[in-house]
Amino acid sequence: MTETVHLTCIGCPVGCPLQLEHEGSEIKEISGNECDRGAKYARQEFLDPRRDLSTTVAVSNALWPRLPVRLTGPIPKDKVLDAARRIHRIRVEAPVTIGQILEADFMGEKGVHLVASRSMPAAGQEDVHHLGETVSPLS
Amino acid sequence: MFDVAIVGGGVIGCAIARELSRYRIDVLLLEAHTEVGFGTSKTNSGIIHAGHHSSPDTLKGRLVVRGNALFDTLCRDLNFGFRRIGELVVAKTDEEVGVLHHLKRQGDAKGVPGLEIWERDRLKSEEPNLSRDLTAALYAPSAGVINPYEFCFSLVENATANGVTLKTESPVDHIEQAPSGLVLHLPRGSVKARFVINCAGIFADRVARMVGLDDFSIHPRKGEEYMLDRRLMGIVRHLIFPVPRKHTKGILIIPTYNGTIMVGPTASDTLDRWDLSTTYEGAAAVFGFIKDLCPSITEKDTITEFAGLRAVSNTNDFIIGASKVKGFINVAGIQSPGLTAAPAIAEYVRDILKAEGLHLKEKKDFNPRVEAPPRFATLPAESREALIRRNPLFARVVCRCEMVTEAEIHHAIDHGARTLDGIKFRSRAGMGRCQGGFCTTRCMDILAARTGQPFERITKRGGGSWIVVPREDALPAFSTRRVPSCSEE
Amino acid sequence: MLGRMKKAYDVVVVGGGPAGMGAALGARDAGAERILIVDREPEAGGILLQCIHAGFGLHYFKENLTGPEYAQRFLENVIEQDVDVVPGSYAAGVALDSDGIKTVRVMNPAFGMARVTAKAVVLAMGCRERTRGAVRIPGTRPSGVLTAGLAQKFVNMKGYLPGRRIAVLGSGDIGLIMARRLTLEGCRVVGVFELMPYSNGLTRNVVQCLEDFGIPLHLSTTVAYIHGRDRVEKVTVAPVGPDFMPDMRQSRDVVCDTLLISVGLIPENELSQALGIQLDVVTGGPRVSSTLETSMPGVFACGNVLHVHDLVDFVTAEALLAGGFAGEYARGIQRPRDNILLVPGDNVRYCVPHSLSPERAHTIYLRCKVPMKPCIVRVGDLLQKKLKFVVPAEMIMLKIKPDLLERFHGDTLRIDIRPLPGGESSD
Repeated sequence: MTETVHLTCIGCPVGCPLQLEHEGSEIKEISGNECDRGAKYARQEFLDPRRDLSTTVAVSNALWPRLPVRLTGPIPKDKVLDAARRIHRIRVEAPVTIGQILEADFMGEKGVHLVASRSMPAAGQEDVHHLGETVSPLS
Repeated sequence: MFDVAIVGGGVIGCAIARELSRYRIDVLLLEAHTEVGFGTSKTNSGIIHAGHHSSPDTLKGRLVVRGNALFDTLCRDLNFGFRRIGELVVAKTDEEVGVLHHLKRQGDAKGVPGLEIWERDRLKSEEPNLSRDLTAALYAPSAGVINPYEFCFSLVENATANGVTLKTESPVDHIEQAPSGLVLHLPRGSVKARFVINCAGIFADRVARMVGLDDFSIHPRKGEEYMLDRRLMGIVRHLIFPVPRKHTKGILIIPTYNGTIMVGPTASDTLDRWDLSTTYEGAAAVFGFIKDLCPSITEKDTITEFAGLRAVSNTNDFIIGASKVKGFINVAGIQSPGLTAAPAIAEYVRDILKAEGLHLKEKKDFNPRVEAPPRFATLPAESREALIRRNPLFARVVCRCEMVTEAEIHHAIDHGARTLDGIKFRSRAGMGRCQGGFCTTRCMDILAARTGQPFERITKRGGGSWIVVPREDALPAFSTRRVPSCSEE
Repeated sequence: MLGRMKKAYDVVVVGGGPAGMGAALGARDAGAERILIVDREPEAGGILLQCIHAGFGLHYFKENLTGPEYAQRFLENVIEQDVDVVPGSYAAGVALDSDGIKTVRVMNPAFGMARVTAKAVVLAMGCRERTRGAVRIPGTRPSGVLTAGLAQKFVNMKGYLPGRRIAVLGSGDIGLIMARRLTLEGCRVVGVFELMPYSNGLTRNVVQCLEDFGIPLHLSTTVAYIHGRDRVEKVTVAPVGPDFMPDMRQSRDVVCDTLLISVGLIPENELSQALGIQLDVVTGGPRVSSTLETSMPGVFACGNVLHVHDLVDFVTAEALLAGGFAGEYARGIQRPRDNILLVPGDNVRYCVPHSLSPERAHTIYLRCKVPMKPCIVRVGDLLQKKLKFVVPAEMIMLKIKPDLLERFHGDTLRIDIRPLPGGESSD
């Protein structure tokens, strides 16, 4: 039995409304796309929709209380909320280096790591180049 | 036990507190909100009226001219901003011009100084941006503008410096009559006073009922005001009034003390004592009316809007006097020109207290002066550098739009600010174009550090006006980075 | 830090975000020796530090970076290039001396009020958000009404949530990004309300921030009223007609405790105004020549302070250019003056720069007023380019080669965007 899934392509700002007809997990036809990107996108979204995830974790001993983190690759769309919850349980302590792996192969996704999205020096150790030693959020 | 307890820390209560602080008596000022002036006074238009609008047959008409005259000394001593920019009541038709003449006669009889009728040409040359249809105006040079909250803050600062006790977040719940005085029950405890001054504004009739008095009622009359973009600064130089109507002075063009133009207020009676909403109808009424006075002002120029509630009594006049209950003095129904009359009302109440048997002996060490708060943005370069040398925190800008420095934020907190609005109204941080978008987190950091309030308990203006909530996974007492403290060195 | 700030510079850059850092690098490339960046935050990086999502650098680095990653790349570059950076400092003013030298007053608690001289100055202060007052919503003034950017700062930098049940006014990208962000943090986002009949954000964001999480997007709808005494309790929303006024007969109340306002950005032009620089009333930023120089000699502008960009990659491109010209200026290299005025025509909201010179190549940045597809962009009779679509949310860039301008003998060039026959526009 053929079913139709409706999607909006995100390949460019046109945002073509796409229709993907399928029988079970077999794609029958993709229409509505004005270019190839649309077809590729529809296929990917149907077979294996994935999303990037960035958020923050608690960090101590740094200028700010939150460290921005990201996954180095997209994970299945339906794992995102759960992933966020897991990430929010992590706590780190400065100093942290950009790209530092906080958890490798996150949630079983091989090659997708949770990394720090920026460096954060330890309190009082700010590189004099880009953090004034006499400047702090609380005087 | 206090000699006098003042119920209500609006401009009237603050003015009375300051006046009474001259004498060797114990005075308590009670305010329900988190800070003084946070009720109606904060939303007041800030006009110091010349006094010719009100009839000498009314108490308000009698107190306003005296009040106006007291502002020069008050301003000099208390260092709040005050400028006599003058007022024009403008007229179009012959009938309206007739009203101008009536107002002038009324004003002259009351001693309002310098009243002049201006003909069309004079009006046109002094106020070129007003409508060409206007034919005459009544000029009153003694009218002026202040920031009403600044006035409240400086009155209270002086009152407390001279010994008055201030309790905020202290609404009076009920009052007991005792043999030697009155007991006021507050949320956390109670206080006893020989005399109680009821200047509780919108709630003055409810407070009066707490001692069984039922002879007046207060009904709120809402006024909406619209602040206009800076580019309209200077579009008029005087306060512009239309010919007055029955219940209201009408919708005005107000160059506020800081120069920003404000239009309003509307006047709509409401039953809701908490209704501070602005409305589409209000805006339509204001801008529809104003375009006839000044065609270049349109609704598009609004940058912010707010509403306030006037406390209007059933007599439509001030109700000031001793009551049937010994020691209980009403100062109720203080609508326009209440702000102007406030210093005169304070004197009047002092005299009532004397007549009621309170012995008033002057303090030898009464200090009438309050130092002006530092205003970095308005100072020339050398003064700025001098301030910075004295306190390096004058060199850290917190509010970029109004150029308010960190030292001024600390000053606001030193002088009573406990909320974001408290900081805003004392220092101007958050009043500019970005409306706090840049400075809010920094002001909250400083408030948290100085007052010990956790970041998430900081409010906009007390009560339930919280700003943020903590994350659900937040650890208690999770500290941000701190500079090395003395103990670590 | 004290020892780091010299008294005299070739180029002083006001603002240490991507525009400022790009300008500093551009100036270094052009041979300027002493370069200073002044930034008001405790660290340089600008707004990127709170834009923790990815999508930056796709063009410039051909990588998909987060805001902080993009910022750190540039910061490391800037430090490597020996640019002086003074954070936590405020540029209080710029004065022009009779000999063309600029004096910049820099404030910081560590050194008080210092004066540094500069041969050239680059304005890179970025932009600010439009507020509730700018869109005029009647009602009460409770806490809980804030811009999406301030909410972003609370969540991503301070670790606090702006509320628990959130309504968003405006479908610009910041509002969409925050709708997703807050959902990931456990809040309930009850809806995004957009005045226009189309979203102002990228389709990618509508899909991945709203559709993914089941957050409804209500087009042609506005927030007509805010309720709540101390804190927001609910908002009244209503559909709007062609006059964009709410139809109150069809209004409904939405219970929430927070209203995020995401209704546009304006250049941070307080300093520009204080300097008396000529501004473009449409962009809100300075009018600039093709060397990105403002009406004040030797003062250049780039990034969001000049006009609001959508992609930081193009901010970088513009900033490198501006910094390069500033560096040249500081070295005394004179560029021929522009002699062709650029004028926005049909369906062009604005174009930057405001004038051109036949001496060299140019990149013109422009935005359309209304969406149109397909369409054709015309630069006078010199150049035309077919485009599949244009939307106001996406900046258009046109590259103009010098030989095209050499053939032109007029003094004004008009840019128009017109629909192609058979095409549609949302007029």
